[in-house]
Amino acid sequence: MSGYELGQTAIEDTFAEAFPMRYTRVLITAATEAWALEAARSMTGFATSVIGCKCEAAIERGLAAAETPDGRPGIAVLLFAMDREGVGKRIVERVGQSVMTCPTTACFDGLPGAQKTVALGQTLRYFGDGFQASKVIAGRRYWRIPVMEGEFLVSESVGVDTGVAGGNLVIGAAEEDVALAAAQAAADAMRGEGIALPFPGGIVRSGSKVGALTSKSMPASTNHQLAPTLRAQVDDTLVPDGVGAVFEIVIDGVSEDAVRESMRRGLHTAAGAGATHVTAANFGGKLGQFHFPLSELRDPP
Amino acid sequence: MTLTLTLRTEPPARVLAAPLIPERLRALNASAVGALELRCGGETPAVGDLFEVSGAGTEQEVLVLSGDLRRFDGIGAHMSSGEIVVRGDVGAWAGAEMAGGVLRIFGNAGARLGAAYPGTRVGMTGGEIVLTGDAGEEAGAGMRRGLVAVAGRTGNGAGLRMLAGTVIALGGIGDEAGLGNKRGSLASGRPVEPLPSYAFATRYQPPALGMQLLRARELGLSVPDALVGGRWARWSGDRTELSRGEILIFDDEGSRE
Repeated sequence: MSGYELGQTAIEDTFAEAFPMRYTRVLITAATEAWALEAARSMTGFATSVIGCKCEAAIERGLAAAETPDGRPGIAVLLFAMDREGVGKRIVERVGQSVMTCPTTACFDGLPGAQKTVALGQTLRYFGDGFQASKVIAGRRYWRIPVMEGEFLVSESVGVDTGVAGGNLVIGAAEEDVALAAAQAAADAMRGEGIALPFPGGIVRSGSKVGALTSKSMPASTNHQLAPTLRAQVDDTLVPDGVGAVFEIVIDGVSEDAVRESMRRGLHTAAGAGATHVTAANFGGKLGQFHFPLSELRDPP
Repeated sequence: MTLTLTLRTEPPARVLAAPLIPERLRALNASAVGALELRCGGETPAVGDLFEVSGAGTEQEVLVLSGDLRRFDGIGAHMSSGEIVVRGDVGAWAGAEMAGGVLRIFGNAGARLGAAYPGTRVGMTGGEIVLTGDAGEEAGAGMRRGLVAVAGRTGNGAGLRMLAGTVIALGGIGDEAGLGNKRGSLASGRPVEPLPSYAFATRYQPPALGMQLLRARELGLSVPDALVGGRWARWSGDRTELSRGEILIFDDEGSRE
């Protein structure tokens, strides 16, 4: 394998391939951080892959009360979809079902000033059945939707911008527990402003390939090349010698730089946490507009 | 550079100060501003006769008026953009029929703050007014949109025939507030007895009001934390109109700072 080494970790000479996607950011606030987190977790559930879930979403970071529009603790959530229309549909569904329903919450536009927007409160207000009311505060319109607890306050619209989705790191080690610990440490290091890790805990154990060997109708199937149990069964295995378990971390970000720096943090953290091999997934460079060579991440963050 | 008008001496009669709004003074130098005429009784003195003028109208559109301006009516009336900062008391009709921008008054205001002029139905249609002192009668009368936030008290009849928008009086709203109110919000930081055409609904933490209080604080008002996160009694009315308006009365005395 060509590449380089970080301590005892072999870094493969390859690249992650990513794509442009549209995204929005919402700020969920609540009476307590715990309730804001409940709403954010619910809203970002079943949002791991745009192929199967129509969007990808994750908690970006926690917000101190001083950082939120209503002065309460909050959570920033990023949601990605293929186009602006997709963002618009998904954000209304998820805020309507997971945030409005959650005790004490309010939901605000996290991309004020974006050139493009999609409706949020403008659509959700109809749940108010004619009893809704709006307020313009500091030049922005909010909808007050009466609910059984009191009122749900929501921004009329949210900004939409173009982000980068599909950055990734693939982390392996001899033992499953060691590989998982390295992946967990990497995921923790990779989160931050402008970054969403949409899979459970930020980690994927069932990485996929495009299409399937046995079916023309399957959009994706298991990445058999990185499945250690198939190493002796398939001719094109990519599982390195000595690797017994592999985990992938998929990164969606608000910019190419955000994804690159997140990958850099993850790569170096994984190397320091017991990973023996780190590589990345791509499609030969033919499908994605953004390439992130691991060779460019050699310098620590 | 900010355009600053400092009162030289008290005018002999009431002055209509409505022409002194940022969008009309934009890009004028001090001498051009000083040459503008204002109506004062039967006279039309130049601005330069009444004020010491310094600075110039800028793209930032900040106009500072300084002095005892109780004889100046209509300060900020019809303004639609920019910012006026007043250091001193003002007369009646300040911010009347205002459509946008920010009017910050560090002092008291006369009657009809942000209201409609006589003969017109609609008062303020946008923008924000913050007042550190007390306001006179009928603040926000005919208001359709925007925010009037008063640190002190408002006189009687605040929010008269309000269509929408918000009037907040941290020191309490006067009697007969919200008469004929359709969809507007009145908030009183002190106990007040609403008109009989209002009905008690509940006590709760109104999220939009909390944000408006934070916004008022951002614009220079001293707003206690207890009001921002506290409970308010909601009274719905005016039942002689749509009954979609509200009077919010702070009802969390135990948490007042």
